[in-house]
Amino acid sequence: MSIEKCSVTRFELLMDAGFGAQKAGDILLAAFVAMGEYVYVEPLIPAEISPPARTPPALSGIIIRLADFDVTNIGNDTDLILASHEVVLNRRLEDKEYNKKCTILLDAGHRESNPDSYDAVIQHCTNEGLTITLFDIDPPSRAIIADLSGKGLNLYYLGMLSYIYGMDEEIVKNEIENTFGKKFNPEVKAKNIVLYHNGYQLAKSMNLLRYKVEANPRQGEKILIDGNTSLAMGIIDAGFKLFSGYPITPASSVMHTLAKELPSYGGCVHQAEDEIAAIGTAIGSYLGGVPSITATSGPGLSLKQEFIGYAQMAEIPLVVLDVQRGGPSTGMPTKTEQSDLPAVIFGSHGDYTKVVISVSNVIDCFYAPHMARYLTEKLRVPVFILSDFQTANSYKVITKPKVVVMNAVEEIPDFILARFHIKHLTTNIEMVRKRVSIPGTPGEMHRVTGLTTDAQGKITTSSVSSQNSHTVRNEKIHHVRRALTSPEIFGPETNDLLVIGWGSTRGALEEAVINAQKEGVKASGLHLRIVYPLPLVLKEIFAKYKKLMTVEVAYGDQLKPSPLALLLRSETLTDIRPMLSEATGRPIRPKIILERMKEAL
Amino acid sequence: MTPQDQSPAAANTPVTMKDLFAENPRWCAGCGDFGILASVKRFLIDRQLRPEMTMNISGIGCSSRAPNYINTYGAHSIHGRAIPVALGIALSRPDLHLFVHSGDGDSMSIGGNHLLHGINKNFKCVFLMYDNEIYALTKNQTSPTTRKDHPTHTQPQGSFLNPINPLTVALGLGASFVASSADWIPDHLTNTIKTAFDHPGFAFIHISQRCTHFDPANFDVKTSEWFSFLKHANGIEPDKRLAAKTEIVDHDPSDMTTAFKFAASDRRYYGLFYQNKNKPRYDSVLHNMITNAPKKDRTKILEPYNI
Repeated sequence: MSIEKCSVTRFELLMDAGFGAQKAGDILLAAFVAMGEYVYVEPLIPAEISPPARTPPALSGIIIRLADFDVTNIGNDTDLILASHEVVLNRRLEDKEYNKKCTILLDAGHRESNPDSYDAVIQHCTNEGLTITLFDIDPPSRAIIADLSGKGLNLYYLGMLSYIYGMDEEIVKNEIENTFGKKFNPEVKAKNIVLYHNGYQLAKSMNLLRYKVEANPRQGEKILIDGNTSLAMGIIDAGFKLFSGYPITPASSVMHTLAKELPSYGGCVHQAEDEIAAIGTAIGSYLGGVPSITATSGPGLSLKQEFIGYAQMAEIPLVVLDVQRGGPSTGMPTKTEQSDLPAVIFGSHGDYTKVVISVSNVIDCFYAPHMARYLTEKLRVPVFILSDFQTANSYKVITKPKVVVMNAVEEIPDFILARFHIKHLTTNIEMVRKRVSIPGTPGEMHRVTGLTTDAQGKITTSSVSSQNSHTVRNEKIHHVRRALTSPEIFGPETNDLLVIGWGSTRGALEEAVINAQKEGVKASGLHLRIVYPLPLVLKEIFAKYKKLMTVEVAYGDQLKPSPLALLLRSETLTDIRPMLSEATGRPIRPKIILERMKEAL
Repeated sequence: MTPQDQSPAAANTPVTMKDLFAENPRWCAGCGDFGILASVKRFLIDRQLRPEMTMNISGIGCSSRAPNYINTYGAHSIHGRAIPVALGIALSRPDLHLFVHSGDGDSMSIGGNHLLHGINKNFKCVFLMYDNEIYALTKNQTSPTTRKDHPTHTQPQGSFLNPINPLTVALGLGASFVASSADWIPDHLTNTIKTAFDHPGFAFIHISQRCTHFDPANFDVKTSEWFSFLKHANGIEPDKRLAAKTEIVDHDPSDMTTAFKFAASDRRYYGLFYQNKNKPRYDSVLHNMITNAPKKDRTKILEPYNI
């Protein structure tokens, strides 16, 4: 059958958890990159470890968007799905992220014992107009897979996908070797290679539609990295010496990477007894003069709130990384959301705000720690880095970021400040208390406290001191407000519609604006990296657009503005409404943004 | 992990009581906290510990105000959470002398989890548990160590349960150092702090402390027949002033079984219950890990991700 040449395409591999879908994804990714193609990968990870096979929660898979250009997001619709049985397929079809021409390849291995549910899903696909093809794994391969207790199935599917996407078998085999490593049992490895080859041959015999994305190798040094690993390496580069955390999805992998790496750079990871202790020890370390960072997600953010207020009041530098997930409460640990914004800006009792830096991609992840350290040490207020499940787990090939080796915050390079659209802070930033020297400094002894104090650090309930301390704390945030420059704008600087996003929606927003321009849709985009405080110039920018709306992976409706819309409305007195504010746990798609832009105009 | 701009601990002039004065404590007249503060200061003077190299960390409560009243570096943190902050100091600044001040509500109630792990981590600090057996700063509520049937604002019928015994808790958690003293026996308390300071690990000191405002009848400080001192060559010397007036019991602090027996007794024992100088320290484990880790070039951190 024919080969469809395309600039961009998207496919999915769906399996039961524990059978290596993620590993197959890693190999595919590396092989595509070796072939000079661009990929953006989103893993589908169950909230549990090994849920019972052939149940909807067991769905573990990968979505791969393949392109001949630098993809910034996971895209719109899927063109091909390869599923190991009808249950995981059915679960994923519910999300309705397939296009009308989507090809579905369904392993018929479970059909004999589940004829009715197979028939139901086949019928469903036919009703939807999708092309569904069932296939049988060849008997010798089935014997090998049985011999490996079900393992190796992923390599068989990998073989099928390799053929469909015109991959060089040798390149893929080489990546399989790399992934399994030299120490891996050679006999098992050989069996896996056989399965890969047999899968490739099966697909070849099936007369399937194939896809070909042209190679377009990028220039310069490249790296392949995911969001959380990039953050971990950024933390080392920014000069943090203590990472104090408590295991929580999806922040944990930052801690895993640093546990291995940080000791070689003169620091260490402390795994605390709980979320509260984790932030307390980070504060203790900074109090001792050693840069430290804590990371959390979801419920952990709630638990940390009291200490965040303490750091603000006691004027101890503090950086908190929050990798957002579905909420509220335990919510959806392995799904993405941007709903922590109000909790980080306004969370914890009393009235104070913090500085909130968001990351929009894996490069931001590398530089956000430098930005955060600079701001927290200059201001002695808590600084947040807001990432999310999507950014944390998305793998990307990027041009290698410039390694800074920052030892002191004065060394922060201008390009990092420019990346986050901020200028250097002024040098005369006033603190509530005059003494801020680190322990060990003779003659400068002082105590910090969460109680209100005067400028000498003495505990007081004086009305003057209370009001003054509020003024000084807020003035610190105003320093940032005044240093912020114009945020990033996509499309014309005057237009009928401005769509505003922050953090991980950047890629989809940028792509939607590019396509809007192609179609003559009069919409521009604005993306915020530092989300709090907001630049003073914002109101002036907003005045140049007739209509303003937000895109957010957070809930909003007619009566309840979504978090960013709420913030922008209150800070700019502009009528800004949510345009796309869905808390589905799925990333925002450029196509949907464009559709909503058209509806809004 | 040491900071780059750390100033040297200079100054050759001796440290005096005047140097340690920060401000007049805002405790009630007759509060046992005065005695504990005095003993801590006396120890700092006796040992001539530099104020700039000393760090007092506390939680919240009457007793947790103590760091504000000693002119060293210090942090009055949040309720129950002095231990995590102190651990941050122990990890970042092993050169500092670390004292943790915590009350019975702070350490046995809201901060129980941290005490459990502080003891288990065995990081180097002197942990002073000021036990007045009442919530005082919040004005007379039942604490985990309030004696049964004692009426408070929250349990006016009399406290419902038997109190938690901090000594058996500490021993049960595997503390490497468990001692007990009282606010009104200054020599003994100062000696206890000395012994604790020399201990290589988390030194838990339980201190009976009077709350003259809400529970003046709790400790009969005029008599001493109701308590005993533990004595041993490796222990803490019984208080010289009171030694003749009360029972003195020989107890080897390496004997954990007997330590439990004294700790669980209805009678009060002051002295060193248990000490094990060989328990591994979490702070040392991490510092050694950093020292022994293969050094890597920070300019090359992204190389493993090259493609």
